[in-house]
Amino acid sequence: MDFLLTEEQQLIGQAAREFAREALDPVAPALDHDGTWPAEAVAALAGQDFLGLFLPAAHGGAEAGFVSLVEVLEALSRSSAAVAAILAHHALAAYAVDRWGTEAQKRTWLPRLAKGEVLAAAALHEHGASPLMAVHHPEGWVLEGVKGFVRNAGQAGLIVASAATGEGRRSLFLVEAGASGLETGAPAETMGLRGCPVAELRFNSVVLPDAALLGPADGGAALEAEILALAALANGAMTVGIGSAAVEHAAAYAKTRVQFGRPIAALEAIQTLLAEAATDCHLGRLALRHAARLLDEGQPFQVEAAMVQQFLGRMGARILQDTVQVEGGFGYSEFMPLPRLFRDMAGTTLRDAPADLPEAVIAASLLA
Amino acid sequence: MTLLTPEHLRVKEEARAFTAAHIIPRAAEYDRSGEFHPFLLEAARESRIFAMAVPRELGGLDLDALTQALVLEEWGYGCAGMGTTLAASVLAQDSVLVAGTEDQKRRFFEPMARGGIGAFGLTEPNAGSDAGSGRTTALRDGDDYVINGGKCWITNGGYASMFVIYALTDPTKGMKGLSAFIVEKDRPGFTIGTVDHKLGIRSSNTVELLFKDVRVPAANLLGKEGEGMKIAMKTLDMARPAIAALSVGLAQRALDECVRHLQARYPDPKRQPGQNLQFKLADMKIEIDAARQLLHHTMLMRDAGVPYSVESAMAKTNCADVAMRVTSQAVQLLGSHGYTSELAKYMRDAKIMQIYEGTNQIQRLVISRAVLAPAVTQKGGH
Repeated sequence: MDFLLTEEQQLIGQAAREFAREALDPVAPALDHDGTWPAEAVAALAGQDFLGLFLPAAHGGAEAGFVSLVEVLEALSRSSAAVAAILAHHALAAYAVDRWGTEAQKRTWLPRLAKGEVLAAAALHEHGASPLMAVHHPEGWVLEGVKGFVRNAGQAGLIVASAATGEGRRSLFLVEAGASGLETGAPAETMGLRGCPVAELRFNSVVLPDAALLGPADGGAALEAEILALAALANGAMTVGIGSAAVEHAAAYAKTRVQFGRPIAALEAIQTLLAEAATDCHLGRLALRHAARLLDEGQPFQVEAAMVQQFLGRMGARILQDTVQVEGGFGYSEFMPLPRLFRDMAGTTLRDAPADLPEAVIAASLLA
Repeated sequence: MTLLTPEHLRVKEEARAFTAAHIIPRAAEYDRSGEFHPFLLEAARESRIFAMAVPRELGGLDLDALTQALVLEEWGYGCAGMGTTLAASVLAQDSVLVAGTEDQKRRFFEPMARGGIGAFGLTEPNAGSDAGSGRTTALRDGDDYVINGGKCWITNGGYASMFVIYALTDPTKGMKGLSAFIVEKDRPGFTIGTVDHKLGIRSSNTVELLFKDVRVPAANLLGKEGEGMKIAMKTLDMARPAIAALSVGLAQRALDECVRHLQARYPDPKRQPGQNLQFKLADMKIEIDAARQLLHHTMLMRDAGVPYSVESAMAKTNCADVAMRVTSQAVQLLGSHGYTSELAKYMRDAKIMQIYEGTNQIQRLVISRAVLAPAVTQKGGH
């Protein structure tokens, strides 16, 4: 009994665990190996209502909130963090449409996003060399530049992209994948989260109607920060899911691995590694649920989200280093599951927004 | 940096040039394909670097321990997988140096001096940290021993010409019945099993060895029957700093590449990364340099002929932990750039440093025993 969750949230989490065991466990190793788009799994996510989990019922969503979202992401990540990443990045874009979209934008997109007719992506990062610029012309907005490391690139039909709309001013745009002049780069080779494609999007004089502007013109910086805060929660949920799966696997391994005449689980050094990793997962999960609950209550959640990122960023890699260590040479072999978890984990604790370090967000709240 | 002699620096520069010419350009390709790198053997044969631990009278370079570490740092800098190939060959050679007769040394090192590589076979599926619980046997039969069983995770196993294999000559005695043998590659009944696919050091060859009635002459027994564990432990004392050296090189590479990426990200000297990032880089530098000093100090102790088991264990543990932390930090700091770059490989490679040649937990057992030992045996500690 988890009294911190509502009954609905618990049921959703359990359903996600069962779904992940049945639908994702069998395909996760091949997905990791081949790195090809898991079309069936994504269709199954839609079937479970996960793609519209927190979207309003009026627009076809399950209206189950963000605690449920992090529960689902954790549960999926235990089986396939790549599939969880696909859902997470879809959710970031869907969040933006739901939060700042006009009624017309919501009516157009939310039902399709909720049903999985259209998959979404959030394009927020840049390489630095040619940042995305949007200039307003009589015929509409003209976007020029490159967004980097876009997850779901090539598969998403709708992209929420941030662009500079002047010196120090930013705006969000809704971009359809088929827009003329929009080009998707080749998917990057990544060590983990394989199957969730990541590529750059090149905007070659992409012309968008005025109605493509999402939220206030020039007011996009705060919106971007809020999406990144949700991304911190999504990544945190994946970190906790991967970490928990690793701890469980390593604990089971330790019970059966006999050295020096007894299972290594009897060794205090092994118990300590497992106990520390389990503690980090538990504390991360509590902080995560708390931040997601704030979001559900309509409270500011960015500082708490930054704390989740700060804590799990320090702990995530370590959890996998230590659980692989418990399994020793077996743990290093790709015939066993932990190497995939190790590689996936590295992708959930990245510091991708140098301008918005979690420490800076937290410190700003202390020093205000 | 240790105050190195001109001769140390000369060999170090040579190793650096070799790494730049032969290892760095192909590391990514061989990591991706997971294949062994026969080209490397060709190049190494020419430079004779695989013979760096081979005695001079047997045609080798006979480098001192510190110089060997300097070479391995450079190889680790280039590719920890390829560095593992060299280190594992030296590991096999060390067993022969520890316990071999003149005849055995001559037979073993002759192919090594010509550019052959060696492999060391101790680990079995049920005998990892508990190396004494292996089940492979070598039973005396006339003038021969007959080996039956298998070994796993044997580096270079698919490509080595000479092996040192640990097997029980008296299975009733457990680890006191363990003995060490030279086994040539072409002995009938000696075959290669599964090739392992690993998280990292993918360019190194890791295989299962299978022995079915493999006959070796009694002249191939290293030391005496039952001395296997003693020989293995001495060998590992000698070899652990090799892992430390690969780790230091690997960590240094991760820092250098991390800095290179950051400099590209912050081209404007007036807009440099903040203190959060600056200090993390400083910590990485501190950790690497301190680890390197511990390694070099350990090598100077070995070259001076003083006991260095504990230092060897400390160097291995610390350098491996530093490599893991630094490579992991480098990926995280660079975000998606790091995750999609060569830095991801360094992180995957680093993890094995904490596992092989005695896990860091086993090293800590060795170290803590020394810490807890009665003070009288600790004199000379500093």
